Amino acid sequence: MPMSELTWQRTPLITIAFFLFRQLKQFVTNISNLIPVLAAVFVAGKNAVWLPFALAGGYLVFTIINAVLQQRFFLYAIAEDAVHIRSGLFNRQHLTLKYERIQQAEIHEAWYFRPFKLTILSVDSAGSAGKEVMIPGLTMPLAQELRQRMLAVHEGVPASSATPTDAEQHQPTTFEQRFPVSEIVRAGIIDNKLFVLLAVLIYPMSQLDLLEDYVVPWVQANVSWLSEGNAWLLVSGAVIAGLALLFLLAIVVSLITYHDLHLTIQGERFQAKSGALSIRTLSFRYPKLQAVYVRRNLRARLLQRSVVRVSQLQPRQAQAGGQSGQQFILPVVDARFFARFRQELRLPDQELVNWQRLSNLALLGPSMWLAVLAPVAAGVLFFAAESGVIGLLLSALGWLLLQILVVLRWRNYGYSFVSSTTQPAEQWFVVRRGVFSRNENWYPRHKVQQIDVEQGPWLRLLGFAHLVLHTAAGSESIEFLPYAEAVKLQQEWTQEIAQNHRRWM
Amino acid sequence: MSIAWVAPEPSYRSYLQVRSLLSMLILAGMVAGAYFTGIYPQEAFPLWWAGVIWALLTLFFSLFFASRRFLFTAYARSPEGMHLKRGALFRKIRAVPLNRIQHVEFKQSFLERLFGIARLAMYTAGSGGADLTIPGLEPELALQLKTELLTTIANEPELDDNANE
Repeated sequence: MPMSELTWQRTPLITIAFFLFRQLKQFVTNISNLIPVLAAVFVAGKNAVWLPFALAGGYLVFTIINAVLQQRFFLYAIAEDAVHIRSGLFNRQHLTLKYERIQQAEIHEAWYFRPFKLTILSVDSAGSAGKEVMIPGLTMPLAQELRQRMLAVHEGVPASSATPTDAEQHQPTTFEQRFPVSEIVRAGIIDNKLFVLLAVLIYPMSQLDLLEDYVVPWVQANVSWLSEGNAWLLVSGAVIAGLALLFLLAIVVSLITYHDLHLTIQGERFQAKSGALSIRTLSFRYPKLQAVYVRRNLRARLLQRSVVRVSQLQPRQAQAGGQSGQQFILPVVDARFFARFRQELRLPDQELVNWQRLSNLALLGPSMWLAVLAPVAAGVLFFAAESGVIGLLLSALGWLLLQILVVLRWRNYGYSFVSSTTQPAEQWFVVRRGVFSRNENWYPRHKVQQIDVEQGPWLRLLGFAHLVLHTAAGSESIEFLPYAEAVKLQQEWTQEIAQNHRRWM
Repeated sequence: MSIAWVAPEPSYRSYLQVRSLLSMLILAGMVAGAYFTGIYPQEAFPLWWAGVIWALLTLFFSLFFASRRFLFTAYARSPEGMHLKRGALFRKIRAVPLNRIQHVEFKQSFLERLFGIARLAMYTAGSGGADLTIPGLEPELALQLKTELLTTIANEPELDDNANE
């Protein structure tokens, strides 16, 4: 279709909000780069109080004007086989997204769009440029139709036959799961942001001298019954109350983000939808799965739940470097549902996994280091710091704790190579680790990208080697294998992967 | 099955030695600069101590360590993958299945050009930098290997997942 015949459309006015939020988000993510500038402004601001305000105001005006202009110059056109997008005021950009090249298309319902019944369609296209394209302000039916068209082409159905009505049905829902509120509360307890919040809050609090300047005088002035004796009671009570508040806040955050969490599996397509304010959809197609992470921290183990995360090769993931907020995650999974979900992920049953333990010799290295370092620490504390017996006791205690951690880490580490009994069968390798938590990382074997056998001087002395497997989702090491076995595995796997012509992405 | 390891060109050893010598010279230059500007703590650490340590380090790295590195560097091309082993102290054997290679790059720095050698870098998905770099290849051979690899990759049959299952 020639360009002139495209019907260019402008997004609704409300999408100015989208462009505004996008800029603010960029500003927040880049704020660490701006710290030197901000520090300079702060120093300069000592003489000119108006300067920071002027800068902030200027930035605000600039962002708003920019957002309005971005909205004015953002045009899209929908053609038979592609979406065309034109954007930019000075740097004109013309993007043509062929449906067949589109890897992923998601509909996000941002909270500021929900009153207007509008959505954002975000599209991942293949290619190393790895750009995520967002079309804001589409109506729900239009966004759904577009998404169906994009994905239908990708799944080998001609675009014309996939009208929105029958496309929804062309793959029947094979599995569906809703998560009740009680589970979401558990998710909030497991994934508690409490510690992150604490770390964020402690620094400014320590800078402000809040306690000494404000709290103590106020308490002395107003609470006459308070004597020296029960002051500590009040302080610890306040601290505990603050922690409890943060704990509750973290649960509330989880309730908002995972409100009405709803998992559907349609053939090879997994989708989780949730949110009270902004509704977000996370999804992946099974052939693109690169790793499955099962996380069970101490709280999760007490609640008998796990967190399941699925990693896929995504362009934006490569850009963000590791974990982005867009990964497919189920924040709370109980044992019964997990047994079912494992089947869907083609993971083998728990009983089939024959865990291999680390060799006893793996304990030798770290234990030796500790055995050398603990007397050194004790000596320094005793002679240099003149701490007397307490120093000796402390270093002995430290040694004991670290040694226990080393042993626990060694004991809980395990690896295994398993094939699932599902149809179709999938071969996996899995590594389990954790001191107090239990984390399992599952990787499909045929998606390994490169295999290393690593051997430092110490391992060479003992005749062991690490087998390091690099996948598109990250590296995983199988530690302390006998050298000959590591080399043999490396060769076997290289051969096997080279002869496996299945798609890996 | 054993792998037929191929050693790099002998001039790669000289290249490694010259390179470590160059980095030692840069270090010496920095110390000399510090001495002439007067930053160097003459009282705490006499210059001839530094000189002796520098000479010992240079001898160790340029003569012993560089040739040891050369000794343990080898590559192999098997029907299913590229293999490379490196490292004198920390040994590493890397294997990349041929059908995982995304692209191949021929590289030659100025110093390498003087010694008549080149590098061939292979990249896979999911990691940042070059994943397998074969050093010390004869440029002709490197280019030939590159073409060969690219043909193999291009002719790789890619089954559709649906067809396979």
